[in-house]
Amino acid sequence: MAEEPGLSDQYPTASPWPLFVALGLALSEIGVFVGLFPVAVFGLILFGGSIAGILTESGYVERPWPTLLGVGVVLIILAAAFALWQVPVADIALSNVGTGPLFTRLVAVAAAGAVMIAMGGVASVMEQTAA
Amino acid sequence: MVAGDIVLTGLMAVLLVGVAALLTRVENWRSYTPLAGGGAVTGDETAVINREKPAGIIRWLTTVDHKDIGLLYGVYAVIAFAVGGIMAMLIRLQLVTPAGAILSNNAYNSILTSHGITMLFLFGTPIIAAFANYFIPLLIGADDMAFPRINAIAFWLLPPAALLIWAGFFLAPVTDNMIEPARTAWTMYTPLSVEQANPGVDLMLLGLHLSGVAATMGAINFIATIFTERNEEVNWANLDIFSWTILTQSALILFAFPLLGSAIVMLLLDRNLQTTFFAVEGGGPLLWQHLFWFFGHPEVYILVLPPMGLVSLILPKFSGRKLFGFKFVVYSTLAIGVLSFGVWAHHMFSTGMDPRLRASFMAVSLAIAIPSAVKTFNWITTMWNGRLRLTTPMLFCIGFVSNFIIGGVTGVFLASIPVDLILHDTYYVVGHFHYIVMGAIGFAAFAGIYYWFPIFTGRMYQRTLGKAHFWFSMVGTNITFFAMLALGYLGMPRRYATYQFDGAIAPLTQVSTFHQAATVGALILFIGQLFFVWNIVQSWLEGPKVEDGDPWNLERDGMLDREFQWFEEQLEADSPEKDPSLLADGGQEEQNDS
Ligand code: HEM
Ligand SMILES: [Cu+2]
Repeated sequence: MAEEPGLSDQYPTASPWPLFVALGLALSEIGVFVGLFPVAVFGLILFGGSIAGILTESGYVERPWPTLLGVGVVLIILAAAFALWQVPVADIALSNVGTGPLFTRLVAVAAAGAVMIAMGGVASVMEQTAA
Repeated sequence: MVAGDIVLTGLMAVLLVGVAALLTRVENWRSYTPLAGGGAVTGDETAVINREKPAGIIRWLTTVDHKDIGLLYGVYAVIAFAVGGIMAMLIRLQLVTPAGAILSNNAYNSILTSHGITMLFLFGTPIIAAFANYFIPLLIGADDMAFPRINAIAFWLLPPAALLIWAGFFLAPVTDNMIEPARTAWTMYTPLSVEQANPGVDLMLLGLHLSGVAATMGAINFIATIFTERNEEVNWANLDIFSWTILTQSALILFAFPLLGSAIVMLLLDRNLQTTFFAVEGGGPLLWQHLFWFFGHPEVYILVLPPMGLVSLILPKFSGRKLFGFKFVVYSTLAIGVLSFGVWAHHMFSTGMDPRLRASFMAVSLAIAIPSAVKTFNWITTMWNGRLRLTTPMLFCIGFVSNFIIGGVTGVFLASIPVDLILHDTYYVVGHFHYIVMGAIGFAAFAGIYYWFPIFTGRMYQRTLGKAHFWFSMVGTNITFFAMLALGYLGMPRRYATYQFDGAIAPLTQVSTFHQAATVGALILFIGQLFFVWNIVQSWLEGPKVEDGDPWNLERDGMLDREFQWFEEQLEADSPEKDPSLLADGGQEEQNDS
C-alpha cells in the first residue's frame, strides 16, 4: 500500500458507504415520487456514486468510475423506456419539463443519469491518461 | 415554486459537495485491498491494522460490525417505542371523557395512525433485528453476517424512514398545514388513502416503503448467514431455536414485504400520477385490502415468531430444564410460517366476500391456532417441575406466555365468522392484538434486553427496578387491554376520537367506565416504562461490572450457549496482560493505551 490507507482499509469493520447508499436511496425516492426535481437528481447521483464506491471498496469491481457510468446508462434507459411507453410522443419536448407530472420526473432521472455518465466518463479518461 | 426549486437545488448541491468532501477525507480510493465476497475481515494483517474500528461518532456512523449494528437497532427501537408510547398515552388521555379530553378529531386520527405504524414498523421489526444482528452470528459461531455492508445499509434506511413517517408532524407548523400528518390508520384503506390530498400521506408511504426495503435486505442477509456462515459444529439438528425463528421470519419477510412495497408504490401512483389500481373503474378498492392483508397477516407472525424464539431460548434457562419438545417447537414455527399466508381474508369477513371463500379462510385461521398452542404447551411443560428462578427475564417470559394465551384465544374467537361479524371493528379486536403486540412481543423484547444486558454493556441491571418494571407492565397491560375486550363486547367501535353516542351504539356509562379503566391501566404501564428507562440508562453508565462470563449460572445445567461462551472469552481477553488482539469490540480510545 503505497499511499495513506483509507478508513475502510485501516479498520476492517468500518465502511463509510452504507450510510450514503441509504441516504441516497431515501432522497431519490422522495425526489422522484414527490416530484422534487433537484432532490431527485442529487439523490440519484448520491445513490449511484455510493453504489460505485461500496462495490469498489468491497472488491467486487476494481475502479468506481465504470460502475458510475453504468448506473447512469441504466437510469437513462429506464427513463427513456418509460417515456416511450407512457408519454405521448408529441409531449416529449424540453418545453414540457415542469408541466407533465410523469415526464418531468423522467427528465429528472435522465438528468441524473447524464451527470453520472459525464462524471464516470471524465474520471475514467483522466485516470487512464494520468497513469 | 421557482424560488423554492432554486433553494432546494442549492441545498442539495451543498449536501452533495459536503458528502464528497467528507468521503475523500476518510477514504483513500487508491488504497483498496480487494476483499471480494463482501466479507469484512481481511485475512492478512499486513498493514497498520491493529484496531478494529475508528473512534467516537465516526465509529457508529461507519460500523459494519454486527454487534454495533445490533446496538444501533436496539437504541433506535427503544426510541421509537418511547415515541409510540407517548402517542398511545395521548390516545388514552383523550378517551377519558366521552367528548374527548385533549385532542381535536384530526389530531386524534393523526396520532392514532402514527402510533400504529411507529410501533409495528419502527419498534417491532427493528427490536427483533437488534437481537438477531447481535446474537445470530454469535449463536451459530459466525464471524459476522454474510453481508456486513448490506447489514449497515439496511439499518441506515431506518432513520430516514422514521423522519418520513413522522414528517407531517414536523412540517404542519412550518407549511401552514399544507403538509399534515397522515390520517389513514395503519391499514391505509382505499379509497380514503387515495382521496386524502395531503402530501404528508405520500411522505409516510415513502417512509414505509424504505422501512420495507430495509426489512427485506435484512431478511436476505439473515437467510444467507444462517445457511452459509455456521461453524462446523452447528448443523440443522442442533441449530438453536432463536435462529430457527429468525430463519422462518426472514422467509416470511421475503414474501410479504416486497408485496407491501409494490402495493405502496401502486398507491403512490394512484395518488400522484392518476393511475387506477385501486379506483372503482380499475382494480377496485377491495384490491387494496387483499394486497394489504396478504402482507399484513404474515406481518403479525413476522413480529411474533422471533419473540417466541426468544422465549423458547430464555425460559428453559431459568427452569433448569431443556426446552420440552424442541423438535415440535421448530415444526410449529415452520407450520405457522406456511399457514400464515393462507389466512389473510379473516381481516375481511365483513366486506361481503363470497361465503364459500370466507369459510375456507375461517378453517385455515382456526388451524393456525394449533401450532401456536403446541408452543404454549411446550413452554408450560418446560416449566413443569422445573427449578424455576424468577429473575426479571424469566418473569417477562412467564408474562409472555400468560398474555399470549389471552391474545391467542381471543384471536380464535375472531377467526369464527359469526363472532367476527359482531366484533369486527370494535375494541375487542384492539384488545386481541394488543395482548399480543404489547403483552407478548413487548414482553419478549424486555426479556431479551434483561437476559443479555450483561453482554450488551458488560454490566448488570438493577434487579429491584427490573422487577418493578415487570409488575407494573404486567398489571398495566392486563387492565388496559382486558378493559378493551370488554369495551368490544359492549359494542364500542375502534378508531373513534369521541364516544357521545349514548344508547344508540353502546351504553355510555359502562363504556366510559371501561375507557377510564383502560386509561388507568395505561398510566400504570407508562410508569413501569419509566423504571425501565431509568434502570437501563443508569445501569449502563454505572452498574456493577460483570466479572463472570456466566452471570446466570447456566453452566450448572449445561445450558451455557455460544453467546455467553463468547462473552467469557471477551472478558478474559479484556483483563490486562492477555493478548489485546483478541478483543474485537473496542473502539480505539479504549485500546490505544493497551
Ligand atoms: C392464534 C392465532 C390468531 C388468530 C386465529 C387471529 C385472528 C385474528 C382475526 C380473525 C382478526 C381480525 C379481526 C377483525 O378485524 O375483525 C385479527 C386481527 C388482528 N390480529 Fe390476530 N389472530 C391470531 C394471532 C395474532 C398474532 C400472533 C398477532 C400479532 C403478532 C395478531 C395481530 C393482529 C392484529 C394486529 C389484528 C388487527 C389488524 C387491524 O385490523 O388493524 N394476531 N386476528
Ligand atoms: Cu390476521
